[in-house]
Amino acid sequence: MPKSYDAIIIGGGHNGLVNAAYLARAGKKVLVLERRYVLGGAAVTEEIIPGFKFSVCSYVVSLLRPEIIRDLDLPRHGLEILPLDGTFTPMPNGDYLWRVNDHAKTRRELVRHSRRDAEAYDEFGKQMLQMCRFVKPLLGMVPPDPTSLNPAGLKKLMFLAKRFQALAAEDKYNLVQLMTMSAADFLDQWFETDVLKATMSASGIIGTFLGVRSPGTAYVLLHHYMGEIDGAFRAWGFSRGGTGAISNAIADAAREAGAEIRTEAPVARINMRAGRAAGVVLESGEEIEAKIVSSSVDPNLTFLKMMDPRGLPDEFVEEVRRYKYRGSSGKVNLALDALPEFTCLPSNGSDRHLRGAISISPSVEYMERAYDQAKYGEFSHHPYIDIVIPSLTDPSVAPPGKHVMSCFVQYAPYKLKNGDWPARREEFGDAVINTIAEFAPNLKNIIIGRQVLTPFDIEEQIGLTEGNIFQGELSLEQLFFLRPVAGWARYRTPVDNLYMCGSATHPGGGIMGAPGRLAALEILKDLGAKQ
Amino acid sequence: MSKRHDIVIIGAGHNGLVTAFYLARAGFKPLVLERRAVVGGAAVTEEFHPGFRASVLDGASGPLAPTVAKDMQLERHGLQWLEPKCRIFAPSPDARALILHSSAAESAKRIAAFSQADAAKYVELADSFAGAQKLISSLLTTTPPDIDHPTSTDVWNLLRAGKTFRALGKRNMRRLLRWGPMAVADFVAEFFETELLRAVIAARGIFGVAAGPWSAGTTATLLLRVAAGGLPDGGPIYARGGIGALSEAMAAAAKQAGAEIRTSAEVERILVKDGAVAGVALANGEEIPATAVVSAADPKRTFLKLIEPVHLAPSFLGQMQHYRCQGAVARVLLALDALPNFPALKNEHDENAALTGRIHIGPEIDYLERAFDDSKYGDFSRAPFLEAAIPSLLDPSLAPNGKHVMSVHMQYAPYKVNASNAASPEASPVCHSEPAQFSRSEEPAFRSAASDSLSGGRSFSSDISNGPSSGALAPKARSSGRAAVPGNWPAQRDALADVVVKTLAEYAPDLPQKILARRVITPLDLEQDYGLTGGHISHGELALDQLFTMRPLIGWARYRTPLRGLFLCGPGTHPGTGLTAASALNASRQVLKHLRR
Repeated sequence: MPKSYDAIIIGGGHNGLVNAAYLARAGKKVLVLERRYVLGGAAVTEEIIPGFKFSVCSYVVSLLRPEIIRDLDLPRHGLEILPLDGTFTPMPNGDYLWRVNDHAKTRRELVRHSRRDAEAYDEFGKQMLQMCRFVKPLLGMVPPDPTSLNPAGLKKLMFLAKRFQALAAEDKYNLVQLMTMSAADFLDQWFETDVLKATMSASGIIGTFLGVRSPGTAYVLLHHYMGEIDGAFRAWGFSRGGTGAISNAIADAAREAGAEIRTEAPVARINMRAGRAAGVVLESGEEIEAKIVSSSVDPNLTFLKMMDPRGLPDEFVEEVRRYKYRGSSGKVNLALDALPEFTCLPSNGSDRHLRGAISISPSVEYMERAYDQAKYGEFSHHPYIDIVIPSLTDPSVAPPGKHVMSCFVQYAPYKLKNGDWPARREEFGDAVINTIAEFAPNLKNIIIGRQVLTPFDIEEQIGLTEGNIFQGELSLEQLFFLRPVAGWARYRTPVDNLYMCGSATHPGGGIMGAPGRLAALEILKDLGAKQ
Repeated sequence: MSKRHDIVIIGAGHNGLVTAFYLARAGFKPLVLERRAVVGGAAVTEEFHPGFRASVLDGASGPLAPTVAKDMQLERHGLQWLEPKCRIFAPSPDARALILHSSAAESAKRIAAFSQADAAKYVELADSFAGAQKLISSLLTTTPPDIDHPTSTDVWNLLRAGKTFRALGKRNMRRLLRWGPMAVADFVAEFFETELLRAVIAARGIFGVAAGPWSAGTTATLLLRVAAGGLPDGGPIYARGGIGALSEAMAAAAKQAGAEIRTSAEVERILVKDGAVAGVALANGEEIPATAVVSAADPKRTFLKLIEPVHLAPSFLGQMQHYRCQGAVARVLLALDALPNFPALKNEHDENAALTGRIHIGPEIDYLERAFDDSKYGDFSRAPFLEAAIPSLLDPSLAPNGKHVMSVHMQYAPYKVNASNAASPEASPVCHSEPAQFSRSEEPAFRSAASDSLSGGRSFSSDISNGPSSGALAPKARSSGRAAVPGNWPAQRDALADVVVKTLAEYAPDLPQKILARRVITPLDLEQDYGLTGGHISHGELALDQLFTMRPLIGWARYRTPLRGLFLCGPGTHPGTGLTAASALNASRQVLKHLRR
């Protein structure tokens, strides 16, 4: 006699776990099924090299919704966020740009580059804050369907229109620009220091297959601005123990609320009965029944791999196939014997500039050329790299005196024009190390171990289609009521009792947890209605 | 003593003339002031070599808004439309020919030679567009709604648009919402597998804009053009005597309705008194009082050149400075001794018919994108996207007997161009930056760029085409002279023409021997000779952030301006597409409302 649950959640990533925790807290009998031996999906800590704990994929935290931290009482379950102090951008001419969380210091540093930019920087910060305040409620909102005449949906649309109307003229202007422009064009209006624009525009392209000059990237810039820690926008941090510790804290909260979590339990198929989802079949052949199935994996896996698409409406399947993934980034994790020395700012005993993000983004042209190469199917030989050394802030992740260095790399297209990823993986890793070594020549001598993850590896190991870290491009046509498919942006699917709760749904990727939470609230509405 | 006119219209381009017509028809007596000696603005026919005449800018961006054509009765004023037998001929590098006709069914037959699946999809797309066209074209001739205080007309228009939208059915409704912000490369890939066909259709999305097929939002530009033309790939239509004949017919219609047109009358300043327009001052010192001034010049020229800044709010001026208006288009006019031979047409029974429409050069999406890439770094495309036409095939009056003219639209020719086109794509970006590049004490790039362009001698104004810190991607090696500035164009003109001829010769090898003369119109020429700021043929970039309620600026998309009595009627306002004159149609409605109050 197979076991039966109220809800089965496919995938033990942070969204799946948030989804489970909220359902369990509402008294539902919940089972989470994770394919791998470890929980977290892309928010995972693994000891790839003995003694060195890597946040294998995602590496910093900021977007995690405060209401989730509160509701699930995550600090009690072990979540501890350590601040990430500033951004350091080395430049090829021997100079650097170093912005820190200390306002006065950053101002002095900016004045060094341009007095005008230093003035604009404060104003820019204020304006972005305004924009964040406007967009924030959207993150907690189930997207309305503008093609429907449903009164609740219309009310939501009216609410949005009214809010927009109420903005000051200046804010309206900024908002429409943010929603439509490219990050580079947008920043051009504010600043003149190229390296500042380059480093700031980087937030606009992370995880997308777009260049800093592509329209729509200004929105991604805002998306990354929205991170809050303790109520402060634009604050980023590490989680003690790596990003896996976040997943573990959520899992703990879910378990405490009564959820059951199984690892090494890969789902092979979603079971259907009378046209409705009725449970899952594991790869082991085991069948598990449930009233509803909530999938935190991407639409490609959910609808095309775990189901027979012939049972779905053709139009829907067509749209699911059309949904764009296009992984564009890779990750290089290094185990280091010592700290890197950047020639433009030798440490002389102080490692403060290494405690924040180190951004390899020396000019806007550099960023755009990195994209150009990727457009035609080659990884960037001089990529944009976002580096963090979490062991400086959290010594628990490396043996004493040693360090882990996490390098997020863009662009690495999923499909290479020449050769394939397994054959070119190490070449890619070398390009990344060579690029950093141009700024920190000692790097090559201090590496004692490395892990190179290409989009191919991210797909293979983590299960993200085409290696897209957001479960689908954050491009304008795949946001809000269009994510993942117009008409199905409300966590429900054309299959009764089957839901989506992953990053492929509004509001998208990053360790945010919002999709998992919003989906849970929708599921509870439906379950309530059925009882 | 100047005679008092109620209304002055600045610029006798299409939109100026159409506005004049509508105002005159309503009983007013508008005075149109044109800087140049001829009417038409950039829509003129010029003799560029003895006996050879061609349109400076083509009508390739779409036909007139139907209402305008009907109201102005241009045929009565001597206008004759010539419709080509084929709309598009696109040769491939391996000498195959994709030829599209004016009926989707016939085009599908030709597409089938490349791909059966694409032929079927083409018909499907044409149908889908036909549905969308109704909606979009109704939006084109609607004044964008007032966001803060929607009027009852706004609400009515929106409801009507909403009804047309709903009539599309859920599937098409959702498609349309999704399509707008997409990159046109993605859009065509959803339908077609043949690269050449993808490129031909994507070309509508990038025509005239500084964006490549992979730039998000280019599908919106495609849809705008679809609304004007109806077919996925748009179609050319010619006026006998060139586009200048259309302008002349418009001028005749306007005059007959009661408008007065003065050429060689350059407006130097718009006079303002107490927050309202008081008239205009001409370059010769003459002042003409007016209660309403309608500017057909582009927004940047209107607000940043013709008006004393003291009359406008700093925030408005700041936003106007950031209005993006840098062109990416050059034109090359060729006088030909005979028709060139296209090997791709060797199996055509009527070779000449195939050449009557648009000749599309740009065989792949990647080709188009690479052409765009060059321009991002201040070079004109080494392998450009071209749209050529041989209007003398349909209209022999344009060239001496047996001879021909070929006009070529070339992309991308960035307004700010490097001194030489020698950039290497393999150049390492890290090594690229010279030590001086980021030194702290130097002047910001834009200042030196602007002064460079002035010292270049030909520039008639300081650079207002983009925001203060524009051209961020152009390498800013100020000391090395590699800065991209418009002033470099005179020295680059011939190199550009060589690239265009060389590219055409890849498809018509005998073309170079047949060239008798050539004329090159660079973005700088478009700015200096035809008054288009930044050389932008659409008076400002057609990008998502500068469309509809945001064209030219959010809050000022209703043809009115912060100055009472001053209006805009050029393509720098909604809808902004080339020669449809829809901007003028909408603007004249708003002006009349103001005048009748």
